[in-house]
Amino acid sequence: MKITVNGAEHELASPPLTSLLNALRDELNVTGPKVGCQGGNCGTCTVLVDGEPRRSCLLPLAMVDGAEVTTIEGLGTPKRMHPMQAAFHFYYGSQCGFCAPGMITASVALLERNPNPTRKQIQNALGGHICRCTGYVKIIDAVEAVARGESFDGAELTRSRGGEATPKGASA
Amino acid sequence: MKAIGARLPRYEGAGHVTGQTLFVDDIRLPQGNLWAKALRSPHHSARITSFDASKAASLPGVHAIITHADVPRNVFGHLAFLGVPADEPLLAVDEVRYLGQPIAAVAADSEEAAQAAVDAIEVEYEEREPLFDMRKAFDPDAPKAHHWGNWLPYFGGELENAGPDRRRIRKGDLEWAFEKADTIVKGVYRPAAIEHAPLETQVALAVPEPSGRMVVYSCTQAMHFSAGHVAAHLGVPLNGVKLVSSAVGGGFGGKVDSSSDTIAAVLALKTERPVKWRWTREEEFLCSGTRAAWHIEVADAVTKDGWILGRKTLTLHDAGAYLRHSSYATTKHTFHCAGAYTIPNVSFLAFAVFTNRVPSTAMRGFGVTSTSFLAEMQVNRIAKVLDLDPYEVRLKNANRIGDTMPNTVVLKDPSTVPVVQAIAEHAGIELAPEYKAMTWEPRTGAVLPEWLVEQQAKGGQD
Amino acid sequence: MSHTPVVLTPASADQAVSAFGDGSGVTVIGGGTIVMPEIAGRRASFSKALLLSGAGLAGITRQGGVVRIGAATTLQALIGATPDPLSTAAQRVGDYEIRGQATIGGNLCAGPGRETPRGDLQAPLIALAASVRTAGAGGEQVQPVEDFLESGPAGRLVLEVEFSEPTRGAYTSMGRPHTHVYTVLSVACAETPEGLRVAIGGAGPTGARAPSVERALADGASVEDAAARVLDDVEPQDDALASAWYRRKALPALVARALADIGKESG
Ligand SMILES: Cc1cc2nc3c(=O)[nH]c(=O)nc-3n(C[C@H](O)[C@H](O)[C@H](O)COP(=O)(O)OP(=O)(O)OC[C@H]3O[C@@H](n4cnc5c(N)ncnc54)[C@H](O)[C@@H]3O)c2cc1C
Ligand code: FES
Ligand code: FES
Repeated sequence: MKITVNGAEHELASPPLTSLLNALRDELNVTGPKVGCQGGNCGTCTVLVDGEPRRSCLLPLAMVDGAEVTTIEGLGTPKRMHPMQAAFHFYYGSQCGFCAPGMITASVALLERNPNPTRKQIQNALGGHICRCTGYVKIIDAVEAVARGESFDGAELTRSRGGEATPKGASA
Repeated sequence: MKAIGARLPRYEGAGHVTGQTLFVDDIRLPQGNLWAKALRSPHHSARITSFDASKAASLPGVHAIITHADVPRNVFGHLAFLGVPADEPLLAVDEVRYLGQPIAAVAADSEEAAQAAVDAIEVEYEEREPLFDMRKAFDPDAPKAHHWGNWLPYFGGELENAGPDRRRIRKGDLEWAFEKADTIVKGVYRPAAIEHAPLETQVALAVPEPSGRMVVYSCTQAMHFSAGHVAAHLGVPLNGVKLVSSAVGGGFGGKVDSSSDTIAAVLALKTERPVKWRWTREEEFLCSGTRAAWHIEVADAVTKDGWILGRKTLTLHDAGAYLRHSSYATTKHTFHCAGAYTIPNVSFLAFAVFTNRVPSTAMRGFGVTSTSFLAEMQVNRIAKVLDLDPYEVRLKNANRIGDTMPNTVVLKDPSTVPVVQAIAEHAGIELAPEYKAMTWEPRTGAVLPEWLVEQQAKGGQD
Repeated sequence: MSHTPVVLTPASADQAVSAFGDGSGVTVIGGGTIVMPEIAGRRASFSKALLLSGAGLAGITRQGGVVRIGAATTLQALIGATPDPLSTAAQRVGDYEIRGQATIGGNLCAGPGRETPRGDLQAPLIALAASVRTAGAGGEQVQPVEDFLESGPAGRLVLEVEFSEPTRGAYTSMGRPHTHVYTVLSVACAETPEGLRVAIGGAGPTGARAPSVERALADGASVEDAAARVLDDVEPQDDALASAWYRRKALPALVARALADIGKESG
C-alpha cells in the first residue's frame, strides 16, 4: 500500500486494517494527528484525504491505498502558517493544543466547500470535534476571521514576548 | 509593563496550531521503547484469592510482569508531605476496592503483546458487597470500604495518635442564631462526581539512564508533586528521578496524581528499557480519578428581612476507595461553607467517606465548588422563601473588609459586593439605591441593624 | 490483533459477491465507522474482512419513479440527492466527516448499539417501503427492509436498497443539543404509492414500523390520538442517552410533529 503524506510518498508496511491514524503516527512518525479516542468520537485525529476531512482513526489503510493525505503539519509551519493556523493562534483558538490538529484541518475543509459559512454552519461543521479547554467560542471566532479574509503576519505571531499582534484587515 | 492589557500570542501557540508541539505520546526515542498495559480489577470490591502470571510471562514479546512485590515502596500517600498517612498501594496486594484498580502491569514489544499477556494472567477473586452510597457508610451493617473504616478516622495528627474523625468549624453562638431567627431555610445538595475527560488520555514514557536515574516524560500537571511520587515509589531520593514536562493535553485536575508515571517507571526499572504506557479512552473514563461526589445538608437561621444569622452544615465527601487528596478537599470545603458571605454564627461538620468508587481527586476548585454551589443555592432559596430580591440578600450578607471568616481569616479585600453589583448591571437588574451605593467597606449601622452589628463584632473563633 | 486478518478488496460487485460466498467467517466493512472502533476497542476479532469501498457499490440511480441506492453509498451523498425522510435523516447522522465515510449498507446492518441506538436510516427506509437486495447462501434475494431487519444481516451481503419515489416525506428527530451524538429518538413518515407509512427509530434494537398509528389515521383519528397509539407499536428502552420513561413521554409528541410536518392537520 502506498500513500502520499504532506507531499511525500510512502510505501506502508503496516497490516491493511491498521487505522490511518496509527500508521501515520507509529509507522511514519507523523504525530500531528492525535489519538483522543480511537472511536471517531472526538475529532482530534482528523486529516484531509484527497482534500476531504476524515477521521484517520476510522480509516483502515486498505481504504486509502493511493490517497493523498494532508495532516496539520502539511498545512503550514510556525514561520509560514496557513491562514487558519494563524487565526487559531491569534484568536486563542487553541489552549492545550490537543484538539487543534483536527479542528484546524476540518475548518480548512469547511471553507473549501463553503467559503462564507454562518456561525451556525461553523458550529455544525465542527460539532463532532471536542475541545475540553476553550469553550469553542474562540475557535469559531478564528474560523470566521479567516472567512472574512483577515490575514495575519506569521512572524509577528510567533513572537512570544513584547507586544501586540494585529491582524491585517481586522477592524480596530 | 508591556504585557498587561496587551494581546500577547500564546507562548506555545505556534507549536499547537502547526502540530509541532510534542505531547508525551509524540515523543520517539532512537532506541525505541517497550509498551505497557495494566491488569485492572474487574470488580468493585473483592479479595484476590489467587494470582498466576506464569503463562502470561511466557508469551512472545513479554519482557516483564510487575506486581506489588516489584514496587520498591508500594504504599505511598499522596499527601505524605503534609504528614497524612498512606493507604493506597500502587499495585493491589490482596484486595481490590474499585473497578479498574491496577493489580499488575506488563511491558512487552507491542501494545498487542502486552494486552495479550494481561489477558493471560490468571486471577481469582472472592467478590464482596461494594459500598457506593456514602449515606449508607455509617450504617452498622454497611459493607466495609476501607481498612481504616468507612470514613477517614483522623484529620491531622498521626494515625496511632488519631486526631478527630471529622472536620469541624465553629464560630459564634449557633443556638442564639437559631433562637433569634424568624425562619429556618434548609437545603440538601448533592453535586455528582465528574470525570475530567481531557482530550489527551494519561501517557507516560519512562527511560532508565545508565547512571541509575529514572527519566519520566510525563503529562502531569504537577511536576514536582509527581516527581516526589515517582521517587517515593522507586525508593530513591528526589535526585534519582528526572521528570520531563511535556505538553499537557488537558488536565483540569485529573492529571495531578497520574499513576501512569509511576507504573511505567517501575516497569522501566525492571526491564532496564524505556517503557511507554498510554491509557485508552475507556481507561481514562473508568479508572482515572474524578471530582468527588458530595452530600451536603444545610440549615440557615434567617431573619425575615434576609440576614443570615447562622448556618449549620453536614457534609459527606466521597473519597472513593482511597484517600488521595480527600482530607485536603474536605478541609477546604469546610472552611468555605459560608461562601462569599459573612455569617456570624456557624457550625460546619464534614466527613471524608470511603466508598468503592474510583478515588476522587482534584478538579477545578478542589472542594470549594461544592461550597459555592451550596452557598449560592441557599441565597436563592432564602430569597424565594422570604420573597426578597436575591441580589439584595447577597449584598446584605456579603463579605466586607475586616470580616472574620469561619476559618479565622480576616478579609482584606473581599470582592463579593463589587462582583454582585457588576453581575446585576450586566444582567440588566436595577438595584435599589442603597444597594447600588454599597461598598466593601466595613458595615455600619446604616445597613446593619444595631443588634446585628453587635453580633458581628462578637463573632469570632470558637 | 494477535493475528492479522485476511483483507479482501473486490473491485466489482460480482467479485464482492463471490468473495462473500455464504458469508461464513467474513466481516464486511462498508465505511468502517462501526467496525474500526470495535477493532480498536478489542471487541471484534475476525479472520477475514471484505472491504466494499472499491467494489463499485456506491451510487444513486433513478428510473421510472424508482430510486436505487448502492450499499456503499455514503450518507453524505444521500443528502439532497434522495427524498425525505431519508435525506434529512442522513443529514442528522454524526458530523460531516462521519457522514462522508459511513455507508447506507453499514447503517442498515448496524445492529443495536451498546449504549445508544444507531441505524438512523432504518426507520426512513421502512417508511419509504424500501426493499433490500442482498447476496449470500442461495444467491440473491430481494425483501422488504422490515423483513431484512427482522432476520438480521448475518450471512447476507447488502448490495442495494430501492424504493418508489414518495409524494411527500418528513423526518423529525430528537438529539442532544450542541454535539453530534447519536439520535435519541426519531420519527420518519412518507406518503408512498401504497399509502402513508410511519416508522420509529431509537425505540428498539432496530427501526420499527408503527402500524397502529397508520391504522388510526386511516380510520380518521386526529393526529394527536393517532400519535398516542405509537406506544402500542414500540417498547422504548433505557440506555446511555435517555430513559425508557423519557422516550415514552416524548415519542407521541414527536410522532405528532412528524405528521404535522408531512401535512396532516392536527385537531
Ligand atoms: C462519531 C460517530 C457518530 C455516529 N453517529 C451516528 C448517528 O447519529 N446515527 C447513526 O445511525 N449512526 C451513527 N454512527 C454509527 C455509524 O457511523 C453509522 O451507523 C454508519 O452508517 C455505519 O455505516 P458504516 O458503513 O460505516 O458501517 P461499518 O462499520 O462498515 O459496518 C457496520 C456493520 O454493518 C456490516 N456491514 C456494512 N456494510 C454491509 C453490507 N453492505 N452488507 C452486509 N453487512 C454490512 C458490518 O459488517 C458491520 O457489522 C456514528 C458513528 C460515529 C463514529
Ligand atoms: S481519535 Fe479519531 S475521533 Fe477521536
Ligand atoms: S485546546 Fe485543549 S482540547 Fe481544545
